[in-house]
Amino acid sequence: MNRLDYLVLVATILAIPLYGLWRTRGSASLGQYLKGDASIRWATIGLSVLATQAGPITFLSMPGQAYESGIGFIQNYFGQPLALIVVCAVFVPIYQRLKVYTAYQYLGERFDRKTQLLGAFLFLIQRGIAAGITIYAPAIILSALLGWRLNLTIWLAGGLVIIYTVIGGTKIVSITQRYQMIVILVGMAIAFAVAVYRLSPDLSFQNTLSVAGKMGKLEAVNFSVDPHKRYTFWSGLIGGFFLALSYFGADQSQVQRYIAGGSLKESRLGLLFNAVVKVPMQFFILLLGAIVFMFYQFEKPPAYFNQPAYQRAMESGYAPQLTQLQTQFDEVFTQKRAAIRVLSTAASSEREAAVNQVRKLDAEAHALRDQTKAVLVQAGVDPKSKESDYVFITFILQQMPHGIVGLLIAVILCATMSAMAATLNALGSTTAIDFYRPLIRPNASDHHYVVAAQALTAAWGLIAIGVASFASLVENLIEAGNILGSVFYGSILGLFLTAFFIRRVTGSAVFFAALFAQMLVFILFATTNIGYLWYNFIGCAAVLILAPILQHTLFRSAETSAGV
Amino acid sequence: MSAVNANPDARSWRKAYGLALSLFAVEVVLLYLFTVRFL
Repeated sequence: MNRLDYLVLVATILAIPLYGLWRTRGSASLGQYLKGDASIRWATIGLSVLATQAGPITFLSMPGQAYESGIGFIQNYFGQPLALIVVCAVFVPIYQRLKVYTAYQYLGERFDRKTQLLGAFLFLIQRGIAAGITIYAPAIILSALLGWRLNLTIWLAGGLVIIYTVIGGTKIVSITQRYQMIVILVGMAIAFAVAVYRLSPDLSFQNTLSVAGKMGKLEAVNFSVDPHKRYTFWSGLIGGFFLALSYFGADQSQVQRYIAGGSLKESRLGLLFNAVVKVPMQFFILLLGAIVFMFYQFEKPPAYFNQPAYQRAMESGYAPQLTQLQTQFDEVFTQKRAAIRVLSTAASSEREAAVNQVRKLDAEAHALRDQTKAVLVQAGVDPKSKESDYVFITFILQQMPHGIVGLLIAVILCATMSAMAATLNALGSTTAIDFYRPLIRPNASDHHYVVAAQALTAAWGLIAIGVASFASLVENLIEAGNILGSVFYGSILGLFLTAFFIRRVTGSAVFFAALFAQMLVFILFATTNIGYLWYNFIGCAAVLILAPILQHTLFRSAETSAGV
Repeated sequence: MSAVNANPDARSWRKAYGLALSLFAVEVVLLYLFTVRFL
């Protein structure tokens, strides 16, 4: 990175929060602080919802995911448009009619205090950890590749977010997310165009895609019914539906985005915008990863993308093994490049043999990278995040022109800041409204609760920074976030669906059903290896089945006709 | 909002949901065709 990159980066990162602070200057009532005001329109809500979900993981990890395993991850989003329509039709009218600040207040009104607290508690646990991952994930990669100090990166990015979120509340989160998302979309479009431009002139764009397809990178839809396969049409549609329904309907970090403004119409339009644009947006991000993969079929990639870890292993006595692996990797790369050229010009009768040869060499290259990783583990420099997370950022730093590099680092930081701001805003609001107000200070003034929400938002920010400072990731960044969500979301969604659709169930029955469902998911998570998206379905189904059974057996006397 | 006014509103929202659903179906079909084309 040069001075131009730093100029673009710093200007982009600072300008948006400063503009947000100027737009939200002056004191706010509790309603304005937690829900924004009527000036927030559907476009802001739509971009804000998009930005909250995307986060840095989408832009750092997802191209790497496609580089490694192809674009099949797109199927995880297939349940989302359906879920968003259900949220528009069922959830939003209820939240708007009851004028709640948090989704869990509705559980309190429909059931009882303990169920409200259970829903809010599960959310706080899940999101509190996720906020740490949101800031840790990009910080560790940027600090490794750019030589920034990890804790300083975490504190600078996190500190800026805490300051503006605490001061401006929901309105500043929505306003900043709108402009951060515009920067992100423009930045990714430029990255896509540059990546296509940098592809080898030996192959036309169509031939490039054709070869990528033959190498297994472009299988967007797979109708397999094998439950152990992570990404299929069915797991995406069914598991993804429950994940998205829970995330958009019952996760305060999203609910707070679309109840901002207070108009049913604007909320619904913002969500429908997401229902339409999400799948194409993710497709282009994944396709970008596949294009980067094809770029590295003609331009020699590093044997291991996490170069700082690789260099540490080289310096700690493992140079002979790594140099030997590098030599083998270079030979395979040269053979594979020649084989791809043969494949692109092969007659149809020779194509099958050519495809097999390319696939064989690709598998050899993959095996050599695995061996390189094994040496790194042996050397004790085992990286804390998956190698594929370093693919896109390496491509940015090595292949993009100056200025664009700064813009794309700004994209990653904008995504971090927007996702973290929404999360802190929701964590602070939920703690203030669902715990502090009813349990500690029930009858204080509005101003008191605004100050309490500000203090709690700051406290959650510091907790997130604390989690980030001591975090050590065990999985790819995308997976870490989604697995964490899937483990908790099923039972939270079960609480809400029971509230909406099973009128005879009362608080105690649904409370114990949710506790049981959460235990069940924990046990399955610890003892089986089923695709994680299914936990959403299992947790939710367990609550929906068990709550009526408990109601008709243990809690029969408490039965009322409570309902929506 | 009166029942008379609510019905046209509900109808237009149903149309909006139908439109969003149709667009999603088109997206899935295009992704499937993309997969088949480059398999």
